[in-house]
Amino acid sequence: MAADDPDRRKFLKVTTCVLGAGAGLALVVPTLQMVASPAGTKTVSGPSEPLDLGLIDRFKIGAEPRKVEVIAPIVQDAWTAARNVVLGAAYIRRTSPDKIEALSGVCPHLGCAIGWDPGANNFLCPCHDSRFQPDGARMSGPAERGLDPLPVTVVEGRLHLTWVRYRAGTSSREPV
Amino acid sequence: MKLFDALRERAAMGSEDARATMPGGASFAYVFGVVLMFLLVVEGLTGAALAAFYSPSTTDAWGSVAYLQDQVPGGWLVRGLHHHGGSAIVIVAGIHLVQTAVAGAYKKPRELVWWLGILLLLLVLAWSVTGYWLRWDQAGYYASQVELGIAAGTPVFGDLVKSMVLGGNDYGNLTLTRAYAAHVIVLPALVVLVTYFHVTIARRLGPTPVNKSASVPRWPAQSVRDAIAIAAVFAVLLGYVVSTHGVDLASPADPTSAYDARPLWPFRWLFELRVIAGGAEQFAAMAAPAIVGGFLVALPLLDRRTERASKHRKVWLGALAGLFALIGALTVASFARDSNDEQLNQRRTRAEALANRARTLAKTNGVPVTGPMDVFKTPPMWKARAMFAQRCVGCHGADSKDRKGPVIVPGHGNRAWLTQFLKTPSGDPYYGHSKLSATEAAMKPVELPPGDLGDLVEMLYAESGAPDADPAKKVRGEKVFEGACTDCHSREEGVASTSGPNLYGINSRDYYTSFIGNPKSPVHMGPDKSQMPRFDRELSIAERDLLAEYLVWLRTATDADLFKLGPL
Repeated sequence: MAADDPDRRKFLKVTTCVLGAGAGLALVVPTLQMVASPAGTKTVSGPSEPLDLGLIDRFKIGAEPRKVEVIAPIVQDAWTAARNVVLGAAYIRRTSPDKIEALSGVCPHLGCAIGWDPGANNFLCPCHDSRFQPDGARMSGPAERGLDPLPVTVVEGRLHLTWVRYRAGTSSREPV
Repeated sequence: MKLFDALRERAAMGSEDARATMPGGASFAYVFGVVLMFLLVVEGLTGAALAAFYSPSTTDAWGSVAYLQDQVPGGWLVRGLHHHGGSAIVIVAGIHLVQTAVAGAYKKPRELVWWLGILLLLLVLAWSVTGYWLRWDQAGYYASQVELGIAAGTPVFGDLVKSMVLGGNDYGNLTLTRAYAAHVIVLPALVVLVTYFHVTIARRLGPTPVNKSASVPRWPAQSVRDAIAIAAVFAVLLGYVVSTHGVDLASPADPTSAYDARPLWPFRWLFELRVIAGGAEQFAAMAAPAIVGGFLVALPLLDRRTERASKHRKVWLGALAGLFALIGALTVASFARDSNDEQLNQRRTRAEALANRARTLAKTNGVPVTGPMDVFKTPPMWKARAMFAQRCVGCHGADSKDRKGPVIVPGHGNRAWLTQFLKTPSGDPYYGHSKLSATEAAMKPVELPPGDLGDLVEMLYAESGAPDADPAKKVRGEKVFEGACTDCHSREEGVASTSGPNLYGINSRDYYTSFIGNPKSPVHMGPDKSQMPRFDRELSIAERDLLAEYLVWLRTATDADLFKLGPL
């Protein structure tokens, strides 16, 4: 076979491509697999138990919603474990001695933190100016639903709250 | 110079390189690509320096940026050059793009160069986005929340994209390590690779001639123009960075506090568009960049005729000018809207004060390993004050509606306080709100000549262990005490008093620890005279001691000292 034989040239081309592609795949596949592995997995743990927010006496009846930090006793984040991690804020509203509600401080639009606007007497998300009534109902702005209520129970005079994160940007409430 | 020329010749960089000639002569019109290359070098150098200080973890990121910004010599300058250098890349790339379009240089055979340029612009924008997240301050954190919120809204792939970027289900360490890897390895590698092809192919094809003079070698006629442009751009960049002291750093990422997050300036037009679009904002946020990008990509395919003179391409140049004018107008409108918003500016001023506080504390006390938000808790007395606010202010706070005991504020237990207390023990700030004050058992006002009262005060003051007590006055005060107080009070260690509390070591740290533990102890108020609950079952001895330390601190503290501890 001569060096410029077409079959030989074709064979060399195919061999080059196969070897190159094989080596490339052998390198790229495990690399991508590793990089993609955290997707869809629970890398950051959250508390599944209700969290104790203290005596309900601290929440005055009829007062404006009171911001409390929701603190998980322990959070595992990839390789770390930390105590007393602040997950976010909840706004507690006590309308009567027995009626106590909690709203998530996470804006249902895109996940920024909302704040209480004492001047306007409603909630404001400063990222895109969504506003919500004291009871969480949507008033104005791009948010597609009102503030997310969080489950609360009163156990022996103490407020217990379950922290839930909901999908942002939708009109329906889906836990994530 | 001779050596330099010889080296250039050996490297085939002079007239030996066919690609190194400028058809139609040298021109300032050709400097932009070279300026961009220079700015990439600036980013690479400053970025490498920053990477030597940066720590990509949720607990360390903010602290490491605050450290390099506020404590590393020249850190603010390097970080400022890196941040604003990135902005400069976007600006110069924009000029480069407009100029290329005006010259019709995207036309055959240069379509590929044009497309690679647009790809580079996208990579640079992705670079700036990932860089913004790394600071893990309020600004970067909430910008990422919004950006990922938008990405998650992408049909079909949204969740996967968000999960891939976050590195799992929520913000965490993997979010930062991924953003960091993207910012310092993946994106730079891609930028270098694409730049290589962009430049190599452009050089192979040669510049689109802007004038018709004779061709000249690139060196030195074009090179000197490149150098002038580079020097000018760098002078502006450096001047801007120095005059603004680099770039800001907001307070640490806090998932509980509202923050007026805004995207970086190249994205402000989209931010404004969302506001205008109202209900269609999700569409606007996705469609607008797709339309702009699509138009730029399609331009060489739409404008296919060979003539380059702008008068023959009015439609396309007009469309491009309109697009850029719109983007510019939206950007200006967005900044104008914010600067006219009074409330927003007030919130910003507060946020800035908080950021300065965090940075000052980080500098003086260091950032706790538990995370940057805990930097606010590092001032001495912060934790004690927080515990006091949680446990004690209900009954002892000056503003408390349910006050039952004496007000405890700065100056508590100092000479003036003792004097007033002795004169009016049932006065409003003292036992006035307690049940005891309305009973026979309440302490009677001490009526003594001023000199004797002063001596008695000094004696009580000395009991607290205050180092500045006057020993002579104290001795005289002891005699006054024997005559006026011993019917009710003892000051012998461990002895139960007859009716009032034992005053041994009163207002000292040990006294407070013991009193807080059990106010109803026979050495203190006794079983019936105090409404204060005992805390020895609620609080550990270390916690009671912390409160006691705080009370001792309060004696010499002022309202300003308390204010300096920052908000709770």
